[in-house]
Amino acid sequence: MKIGIPRALLYYYYSPFWKTFFEELGIEMVISPKTSKAILDKGIKESVPEICVPIKIFNGHVVTLLEKDVDYVLIPRMVSIKKGEFFCPKFMGLPDIVRHSIPNAEDKILYPQIKTNSDNLAKATDILQLAEPLGLSYSELKSALKKAGKEWARFNKICKKGYLIPEANKLMQEKLVKAAPRSGDITIGLLGYVYNVYDEFVSMNVYKRLQDLNVNLVTFEMIRNKDINKYLKKMPKRLFWTFSNKLMGAGHYLNNNPGIDGIIHLSAFVCGPDSMLGQVLESETQKTKKPFMTVRVDEHTGENHLITRIEAFADMIRNSKKKRRWA
Amino acid sequence: MKISFPYMGTTILYKKLLEILGHEVIMPPRPTRKTFDLGVKYSPEFACFPLKVITGTYIEALEKGAEVLVTSGGHGPCRAGFYHEVHERVLKNIGYDNEIIVFDALKDNFFKVLSSFFKIKANNSFAKVKEAIKTVYKMSYSLDKLEKEVTKRRAYEVTKGEFTTAWRKIKELYDNKVFTSEDVEKVELEAYELLNSIKIKEIPEQEKIRIGIVGEIYVVMEPSVNMEIEETLNSLGVEVERSQYLSEWIEFTLVPSRYSKSHEYEILKKADKWLEIGIGGHAKQSVGFIVDFYDRGFDGIIQLMPFGCLPELVAQSIIPKMSNELGIPVLSLSIDEQTGNANVQTRLEAFLDLVKSIKFEKQNKSNIISLQDIISRNRIANRTKEGIL
Repeated sequence: MKIGIPRALLYYYYSPFWKTFFEELGIEMVISPKTSKAILDKGIKESVPEICVPIKIFNGHVVTLLEKDVDYVLIPRMVSIKKGEFFCPKFMGLPDIVRHSIPNAEDKILYPQIKTNSDNLAKATDILQLAEPLGLSYSELKSALKKAGKEWARFNKICKKGYLIPEANKLMQEKLVKAAPRSGDITIGLLGYVYNVYDEFVSMNVYKRLQDLNVNLVTFEMIRNKDINKYLKKMPKRLFWTFSNKLMGAGHYLNNNPGIDGIIHLSAFVCGPDSMLGQVLESETQKTKKPFMTVRVDEHTGENHLITRIEAFADMIRNSKKKRRWA
Repeated sequence: MKISFPYMGTTILYKKLLEILGHEVIMPPRPTRKTFDLGVKYSPEFACFPLKVITGTYIEALEKGAEVLVTSGGHGPCRAGFYHEVHERVLKNIGYDNEIIVFDALKDNFFKVLSSFFKIKANNSFAKVKEAIKTVYKMSYSLDKLEKEVTKRRAYEVTKGEFTTAWRKIKELYDNKVFTSEDVEKVELEAYELLNSIKIKEIPEQEKIRIGIVGEIYVVMEPSVNMEIEETLNSLGVEVERSQYLSEWIEFTLVPSRYSKSHEYEILKKADKWLEIGIGGHAKQSVGFIVDFYDRGFDGIIQLMPFGCLPELVAQSIIPKMSNELGIPVLSLSIDEQTGNANVQTRLEAFLDLVKSIKFEKQNKSNIISLQDIISRNRIANRTKEGIL
């Protein structure tokens, strides 16, 4: 049996989890290739024009997987991983979008509902309902879940040591992981959802480009939950979306951290949650006079414009830092 | 306390409620181009259109002298529940330090709702508050019944504009004459008299076209934002019914589910096949109402949504397949500050042509079949006459 996993949306955050889970069960996992123009075009064909680019990309990956003769495609219905908080409505309706808009997808997708109270999916008991379509027993799934949860926790711990997700994935084999080396001369907070930051096609490699400019990066996965929650608790009304809240908490933390020289907010065009989040971040950074830039990406974004903007941003920070040193 | 509120649908209801409780109401002006421009200028760029319009409305109301704004809250995952947070920030940035009283869902933030309630209650006795709520509740049902009647009959009016004028007069009647819950029935009779006095064309039943409007509540309910879509459709000779009415919203959202007699629970059940869980906003209702309108024999559906609306986009993704399977044409229109009247008008006309041709084709087909039936029957009759059979 072959299970297809789309390399899109929360794949970047949960890939170690699903990898371990299916390895334990002895099921072959087919991960779609990295996003490309061809995949995006397939997605655009099957999506409504107005929807945001991450969903279009996701649809493209699903189409690609269905062409590859997999038995099932896994599309977890992400409802909530924290009490009182949800995912963006598009995530909650994602299996419905896929099964009603992509031809032949209806009986080829598995969509366990994820409704739990922790980032770690090990306690999302609805995953156990996969037992029937996979032809396995509950107990087998249970032990695989437990192991997957452990692996994911280790992965999360490595991220917290200051590694970006692709770096952390590489370090999974090592027993002892030291804190990430910081060789750059300036530090920038890069705020954005994992599927925007780490999708090399849509973000046009923004994190690698920044690293090439000798910039240290801090993303929300690196910040301790304690620090994120500290600022969230002070808010009169939190946002409804878990990952937006993480970005909000991380944003506040970075904004009040003197070690951070600037913040870049990477967002997709017409992202609903970001329209609210961005407004708050912008007004907060104005108060502390922290350099702040919003980069908006979609299927039409040009590469040169992005390079120019991030180079200018890094240069501006360096200059003002130099000036301060001489002043 | 001079109070104002967002402008949505039959605004006299909110006005009445606050007036009975003895507050001075600053009526927010009906949204115009100027409101949109103000809203767009001060709201976050990618915020949804209703947020922008409400920002504009707030600013205009505050300019007219409002001191306090009242609005509803929400618990997500639709953006609407976060509006007041953004509005507070936006207004503060412009220099208005006014209070916004928010009514969240009771189960989310009990004490905050309670304190909001007491702010509105002021010095009134509980009995008076109860009476005020009862009056407005009854009024909402009565007004919605009348509005449904208006959007149905207006399609066949002999003199253009009569029903629109009558509808305005009816709202004035309610505004001026209703003070207690008993008044509602009296005024309703008067309103019906007014409607019955208007001459309408007689159209045979099979030629009547009915269109259902579904979608996001604000753009569906507020005519000034959706370019008077109901009136436009009526003027093209089509009956219209919406998915969202204020009375339904009150019944579903504010009345505890145990006592609620809301129709919306059935609607949600009808949507289960297409959208398995509620995803916030009115997406599931939109999907359910499409099925409902189809079941009730409507000829076409129009889905209205603000540009980039999160839940409605999910519904929109599902609609093409629904339309195919049910065999009912659906037109999705997304609305924002850049939507032009002419564009909408053209699309509506084209859509109606499509709806009509589908309907009449179906009818003709059944006519042909019956003709064939008649011919074959005649043949059989003739043959029996000739003694062949």
